[in-house]
Amino acid sequence: MNRISFFVLTGLFLFFLTLPLLALVLRALPLGADAWFSANTLAALQLSLVTATFSTFLAFGIGTPVAYLLARENFFGKQIVDTLIDLPMVLPPAVAGIALLMTFGRRGLLGPTLSFFGIELPFTTAAVVLAQTFVAAPFYVRSAKAGFGAVDRKLEQMSALLGVSNLETFFRITFALAAPSLVSGLLMTWARALGEFGATILFAGNFPGRTQTMPLAIYTGLESNLDSALALALILVVISFGILFAVRAASPKGIVLR
Amino acid sequence: MNNDWRLETCHSEPSEKSPISSPQSPIPTMLSLHIQKQFPAFSLDISLDAPQEKIIVLFGASGAGKSLTLAAIAGFIAPDAGRIALNERVLYDAARHVNLAPQARRIGMVRQDLALFPHLTAAQNIAYGIRAPRATQEKRVRELLTLVNLEAFGARKPHELSGGQQQRVALARALAIEPALLLLDEPFSALDLPTRVELRGELKTLQRALRRSMLFVTHDLGEAVLLADEMAIVENGRVLQFATPHEILRTPVNARVAQTVGVKNILPASVIDANTLRVGEINLQADTRMFAPHARVVLCMRPERVMLIRPDSPSVERVNTLEGDVVAEESDGDTVMLRFRANGARLQPTRDFDLYIDTPVYVYERLNLAREKHWRVSLKPNAMHLVRE
Repeated sequence: MNRISFFVLTGLFLFFLTLPLLALVLRALPLGADAWFSANTLAALQLSLVTATFSTFLAFGIGTPVAYLLARENFFGKQIVDTLIDLPMVLPPAVAGIALLMTFGRRGLLGPTLSFFGIELPFTTAAVVLAQTFVAAPFYVRSAKAGFGAVDRKLEQMSALLGVSNLETFFRITFALAAPSLVSGLLMTWARALGEFGATILFAGNFPGRTQTMPLAIYTGLESNLDSALALALILVVISFGILFAVRAASPKGIVLR
Repeated sequence: MNNDWRLETCHSEPSEKSPISSPQSPIPTMLSLHIQKQFPAFSLDISLDAPQEKIIVLFGASGAGKSLTLAAIAGFIAPDAGRIALNERVLYDAARHVNLAPQARRIGMVRQDLALFPHLTAAQNIAYGIRAPRATQEKRVRELLTLVNLEAFGARKPHELSGGQQQRVALARALAIEPALLLLDEPFSALDLPTRVELRGELKTLQRALRRSMLFVTHDLGEAVLLADEMAIVENGRVLQFATPHEILRTPVNARVAQTVGVKNILPASVIDANTLRVGEINLQADTRMFAPHARVVLCMRPERVMLIRPDSPSVERVNTLEGDVVAEESDGDTVMLRFRANGARLQPTRDFDLYIDTPVYVYERLNLAREKHWRVSLKPNAMHLVRE
């Protein structure tokens, strides 16, 4: 095989990848303002942006200590914890949705307890956030773990020797050096949360303005309002492409670590 | 031929003190280091009392325990037992359960891999440990940049600096906290030779000017001798000898130390009487008064201290002369290393040569050693050093 044939094959693959996107763009671009700015479209867009951002914050809050622990400490069962954390990435989101329902649903594991305190999670916006976090947080933990793991411990030792406390060392050295990985992990998480469908529709339902995020609105739109679905689809394509591109730019490879 | 010589004079007086002893010094003890630590396949048992305001060198092969010792002093690892005190301040004491955090030890460190903070500029690296108001901090950083000749490079990130410049930043950063002791762990090993030579000189000048106590680790003998006010030979987690470089080179305490510091002629011998030593098949004149008759000893003689004499030179009275041939030679560019084999009675009858002789290249050329292979050598008693077997 020579070089040309590799290029030809790559071209074929790219053609296969881009043709559907092109078809989408061709159909969506000429759409009028009523498709782009319909109440339905805007509501789904707003809900998606808000919930995905919330989920990302949540992933950051609970994922950072986990990532640090996994990167730095050895403990019994670490392999299992590692695998568990990666599991949602390969699990069909529908499985995640049903599992969440079995946990937080009215007849779920924690349902009665939550009901006692007057908390009803399923089919609320909070359920959307939970579903997204469940599915997307592992992307952050993975990236953050790699980021923390790449920080040379000698730098932390040196910081300590220079009289700087362990907590301050964490922020000024460890966190600062892992930051590019954390940021790219957060971007990936946000993008994944934005695209979440299966877990959301099972656990949170499909209520416009409350739990109908963009992917759900597209699904619904296929039957009722194709123009709105096309507009939302194109918006998702653009956002996703932008995120992936930003992740590349923020990737630790661009930053000299030594 | 008669191989029996008589002792003419002996200037070295017999020493009362034990061969392993710290150098007599009027300067108070800076570092009192007595630690033990057991690893699965290695045990560290270091004992050292080092004087203040000196460059102390830990010299030994890699894996000897030098870096572990520094890690224990810095507080990165805790020994199993023992005590570390710095200027009377206890850093670690197993018996009293004292183990100060690295933050509280006031110790500076520069290591081969530098460990500069890659996301900070040179100036920010140096400022990192300085606890002071901003203005004071900036002034200190400027002073330190000047001290290490990096005035113009404060704004650069480590990866934008050369190896030598990075090394200077690391030194300035370590000095910034006014350390009671500066640890240097093979700081120059990764640099090219000219930079290494330059930085050694600078370090020595700096030390003389600042009068800071330094503990310098190296596996390079030349570097150790050049920098050390006093040096410790470390092997297998133990200090074999602690003395001035001159003393160690001249009078190593045992064959291991001798070998480590480049004494290539290490020959088994036995004492005949107070001034006669038998080496192989030959009796040599030597000061053996420290040893009992018939004692088994080891003769140590540096290869550059074996004297070459032309066989046809006028017969000045020489002691301990052997006649023979240069049977092999190799050169590293500065020094030619010869192997000399005696005719007749031998010092090492079981080997194919008797002595290593090192000679500078210019001497090699002046003596026309390339052509003339037949020589007499003289082993002067004051160049011979005896240690216990």
